[in-house]
Amino acid sequence: MSHSLPAYRPFELGADDLREAVMRYATNPLYLDNDEWLNDDNPYRRQLRPQVLRHLDFSTPPARADILNYPSLAAQRLLTAIYEADLVFLPKSGLGDRAEDFKNFYSPGNRALGETIRPALERYAFGFLDEEVDVSGKWTKDTFLAYLESLEPTMTGGPSKTAQAILSSTDRERAARMWLIQLAPDFLSEASPMIRNVLGHYGQPQSEWFKIIIDEYGYGVHETKHSRLFERTLESAGLRSDLHRYWQYYLNSSLLLNNWFHYLGKNHELFFRYLGALFYTESSLVDWCRHAVDTLTEIFGDQVDVTYFTEHVHIDQHHGRMALEKLLLPIVEEHGEGVIPEMVRGIEEYRALLTVADDDFSAQIAWMDGQPEYNKLHAPVYEAITSGRVKPPLADIVEPFGELSNTHCHDGDELCHIVSGTMKFVSGFDSHLILEAGEGVVIQKNRLHGAIIESEECVYQIYSVGDYTSCLS
Amino acid sequence: MLVVTFSATGAGNCVEVAGTPYVYARTRRDGSDGFVMGARCPHRGGPLHLASVSEDGARLVCPWHGGRVSLARLRRQVPAVRRGDTVTAVFAVPADTEATVRHVPVSDALCAAPPVRVRGLPEPADTAAAPKAAAGTAG
Ligand code: FES
Ligand SMILES: [Fe+2]
Repeated sequence: MSHSLPAYRPFELGADDLREAVMRYATNPLYLDNDEWLNDDNPYRRQLRPQVLRHLDFSTPPARADILNYPSLAAQRLLTAIYEADLVFLPKSGLGDRAEDFKNFYSPGNRALGETIRPALERYAFGFLDEEVDVSGKWTKDTFLAYLESLEPTMTGGPSKTAQAILSSTDRERAARMWLIQLAPDFLSEASPMIRNVLGHYGQPQSEWFKIIIDEYGYGVHETKHSRLFERTLESAGLRSDLHRYWQYYLNSSLLLNNWFHYLGKNHELFFRYLGALFYTESSLVDWCRHAVDTLTEIFGDQVDVTYFTEHVHIDQHHGRMALEKLLLPIVEEHGEGVIPEMVRGIEEYRALLTVADDDFSAQIAWMDGQPEYNKLHAPVYEAITSGRVKPPLADIVEPFGELSNTHCHDGDELCHIVSGTMKFVSGFDSHLILEAGEGVVIQKNRLHGAIIESEECVYQIYSVGDYTSCLS
Repeated sequence: MLVVTFSATGAGNCVEVAGTPYVYARTRRDGSDGFVMGARCPHRGGPLHLASVSEDGARLVCPWHGGRVSLARLRRQVPAVRRGDTVTAVFAVPADTEATVRHVPVSDALCAAPPVRVRGLPEPADTAAAPKAAAGTAG
């Protein structure tokens, strides 16, 4: 053959090319820092902190123990922006002066740059699941059914760790609002990841999948569309419902969970895995929603609109069984038992992610509630440093009035010490400390925080202590 | 069908069903082949959980009389899933069959990769290199 072709090379970016491509995507003006804590009815602005991205390496996925570190939060924020370029969002108050942002966000240029880095970011963001879950042995329809049945107690348990964290918080309303904020990226565009799987042509199960979506969309009656119901929940709890208003308050794991569904829906080679996840969410949602109703009404009383959750209690009662009988089993029948391990994997990955989200959220509530303590811890930790007992790396920082450090987290504990001026240190929605000269705060590893300078200038120091308890003698 | 949950490692890493002990094993360095295996040698009941792996990587070698058992066969035996350190396995026996969970030692060859890698914190020096980077600014 004289017409020899070069060998096929699947698309892949090396570490340096990846870093450059990430920077190219994230330096879009849409993604730069905000000088406010909230986005104001602009669904296209998402703070990605490109100034930090140039220092991150997304080429090797983190181990399970490291998935709440900053690079993972950065990757989840990037992926949210990338996936959502497939979804249509319009400002609630009309396009107005956001027309340029609208065009930019949906432009082929922005989308192409996002798609270029998506495969590597997905590997980075979800790679730990390869290590967290494995499926083995020869599965049959019967062993699969026995396994599904054994899951029932896990789907009908008591209140989650998240609900307990809210109910036992020292500021229950704030904790409940922080929780509703975490649900917003998923619920305000509810069912969008799932809809990725009704495109195409794949027989009867496609129509079954479509029926689930009809339910989610409230049969085309806007006031019963689930995302609309959730808007009412937010508003009745004293929050606003414009998309990504609270972007800076999203936890790593909240984005992780939502992105994971987009990941499964966007990459159709994971179709069978999505089926497992669908079964488990549909089956476990009833009890989860019951607990949500109890938690929210206990805290806010009757003023809170919980229709979103009661509605799911009603319609989802049969969704689990429907998903199994009309979707999973017919697909096994048609495509063979070889697809079962992927379904099992979808279920177990989802369960693993729920644990991550529960742990992350309750740790954040403890961090917010514990601010007075972390404030007091400044004294002994700073003393350990000034006395020379510990010698952590130090960064001296000077910032002007109004400088807002968009929210982020660190991979180890840090001590923030104010030399002069005033800093408002923010540790979550509606949670802050005012720090004056000589004061400070211990910043816990992996905990979301940000800051704004409230004096003409603020000089402060950040000591990377690693583990603050090692400074306490 | 009997569905049992037990540990991938440590205490409770073995479930005995209908007289056969089962353990979770991995023979590949990269940990890509976790599976649940019957740990009783077909020859005279030797402890297969203490087996080594043959040079070609295809068989387990029983520590009692050196009998060889195909890994490919063992891997198909029990449908199972591991999440973190928790293993769920389905056994083709009546659902009311008794299952007892206990501990057995497992040879190094069968725990080639730990199920959960744990990496330490980055060295403080790493954070120092680019404090503005990891830290971003402020607080
Ligand atoms: S008992 Fe295993 S080789 Fe004899
Ligand atoms: Fe910080």
